[in-house]
Amino acid sequence: MRGGGGTPDDWRPVLRGRGLTFTHPRAEEPAVREVSLSVAPGRLLAVAGPNGAGKSTLLRLLSGGIAPEAGEVRLDERLLGDLTDRERARALAVVPQSESSPFPVTVREMVGMGRYAHLGPWEPVGSRDRAVVDRALERCAVTPFADRQLGELSGGERQRARIARALAQEAPVLLLDEPTAGLDLRYRMELFHLLRELRADGLAVLVVTHDLNLAARFADRLLLLDRGRTQARGTPTDVLSRETLEAVYEWPLRLVPHPGPGSDTGAPQTIPLRRDDP
Amino acid sequence: MRIRHDSLDRHWGRSQDPREGERSRLEPGDAAPSSLRTILRGREAGVHRGPHASRLQRRRRAAGRSRGPGADANSGRTLTHSRRRIALLSLAVLVAVALSVSFGASGLGPGDLLRALSGDGDPAARAILLKLRLPRAALAALIGGALGLSGCTFQALLRNPLAEPYVLGISGGAAVGAVAVMVTGLGVRLPWTLPLGAFLGALAAMMLVLEIARRASPGGMDTRVLILAGVIAGAFFNAVILLLLSIADVESFRSAIFWMMGNLSGADWGSNGLLALLLVPASLVLLSLSRAFNLLSRGEEVAHYLGASVQRVKLTAYLAASLMVAAAVAAGGVIGFVGLIVPHAVRLAWGNDHRLLLPASFLAGTAFLLLADTAARIVVAPAELPTGVVTAVVGVPCFVVLLMRGGRR
Repeated sequence: MRGGGGTPDDWRPVLRGRGLTFTHPRAEEPAVREVSLSVAPGRLLAVAGPNGAGKSTLLRLLSGGIAPEAGEVRLDERLLGDLTDRERARALAVVPQSESSPFPVTVREMVGMGRYAHLGPWEPVGSRDRAVVDRALERCAVTPFADRQLGELSGGERQRARIARALAQEAPVLLLDEPTAGLDLRYRMELFHLLRELRADGLAVLVVTHDLNLAARFADRLLLLDRGRTQARGTPTDVLSRETLEAVYEWPLRLVPHPGPGSDTGAPQTIPLRRDDP
Repeated sequence: MRIRHDSLDRHWGRSQDPREGERSRLEPGDAAPSSLRTILRGREAGVHRGPHASRLQRRRRAAGRSRGPGADANSGRTLTHSRRRIALLSLAVLVAVALSVSFGASGLGPGDLLRALSGDGDPAARAILLKLRLPRAALAALIGGALGLSGCTFQALLRNPLAEPYVLGISGGAAVGAVAVMVTGLGVRLPWTLPLGAFLGALAAMMLVLEIARRASPGGMDTRVLILAGVIAGAFFNAVILLLLSIADVESFRSAIFWMMGNLSGADWGSNGLLALLLVPASLVLLSLSRAFNLLSRGEEVAHYLGASVQRVKLTAYLAASLMVAAAVAAGGVIGFVGLIVPHAVRLAWGNDHRLLLPASFLAGTAFLLLADTAARIVVAPAELPTGVVTAVVGVPCFVVLLMRGGRR
């Protein structure tokens, strides 16, 4: 995906949030309290936690969608708020949870929108832009649907098309908000495989997810949020303990090692119990 | 910036265009059952299933190796497509201009006019062509283009296929200004105060609606609040117009009603030039934002992430488009449906890429209003219909047919 010019390879920014706090207007409690995290190149960080834990708010803080009340977000050494919108979009790509439009577009048109931050208002789309879009389409395996309407695709294909648009931004940092929501087993696995490959390409990837089991298998690091606070952070094996998860989710559960075969053997898999069983 | 679910937009979209509404409901994360999609599309479109993981990777690798000029050629084809379509529309505009100047109350045909142009014809015919028909055609062209382009802009800005200058209260404000001038009798003594009143009314309405929307939605302009503010302001302007008309004498009552129906008979080169002076820069500003409009139509949050300066783009576009409408209404009165049906027809025919859509809406609006105005002059000749009546009578059935045919591809 990268290395075709544009962004020099030695510029590998780290996205770093320090002491991030944010309260929604008219809310009494902060949605995010003093959360710190960083995403490094070639790493996949998963952020998990119960509904309402502040995951999406955290993602919007990290992507400049909202400004933090306290704390700061830096891309490398620069404050996120100091970047222009175009500069930010060239450094940081976001796949938000969902989107809709009253005006249907084709997959290629939508992926082409990822080039916005690289083009001036009157600048024609160049051969390099087209090459980047083609590579992004291929990377996410949506080339066969490129000239179809987005609305004709299945949920998993559509999600991959949206990731392709983010890749067309050629940003070294990629944030995704619950990309597997509503997807079936195969699409979920495909999607995390894709994220793993992008990580191997050298992207810094942050994914907000509810899927603890996939996070345990695919993420390098895991951050567990609860009511806006960091409950635990570290490798998935360190974070995923029965005590922590039962406290955070308020539900009885057990952890079992992944039975294998394959490289995920031993990864902690969460099994929620029935409440009425002893 | 805040995330919002544009349920109102979608609701409006659905009531306007059920098929697009269905699509928009299909777009968010959850996959609709493929059978539903098949029914919607009427063919096997939606049933395609992606490959499973291993095949996915194999094909990706294969594609990586064999990636030839295919895709590039494809994009190139799209570009040529756009050029051909713009050329086609330009041709349509030329034909419409020719038709427009060939017909009129005096009964002069194309032959008389050609002779008049060559210089040795009848001076009266020459005067009719140069002082009446050509300025009127130019005015229709300018107003039609302005309404088409600004309607398209409002739709992109508000992510709502129903958005139009009239929905946003802008032309209502213009009508208040103009009617006030006529009712007070100022318009009879000083004719130039009529367009001025309309222009000031439109500007005041625009600022009022913007300000209401801004104050009612702290932390950024909420498009739904903006539409609501426009509708409410429009209702208020209607009340004011009725109030003014109820105290007006018979003569100004008549001329006010006539003006509100849209009327291009007052065209002259001076006011056309002034109009062009305003429309050209405003159009260029809007055209320079076409990519940003593509992003905005995917949602403001998405547009922000892709690098658009959302608030600045919205404010600039809203100002430029409102100025265009104000100028157009001041010059030609209230002409409805052009801003609604022209962009919609282009969207249905050629898709939603604003890089093509904006210039195409301008040209299609130009051709449409030229033809509508020609019809207005010949249907009940030697009398004349108000142009706004023709655009509504012709426009609405066209719109319905386009909707029922199911649109692109």
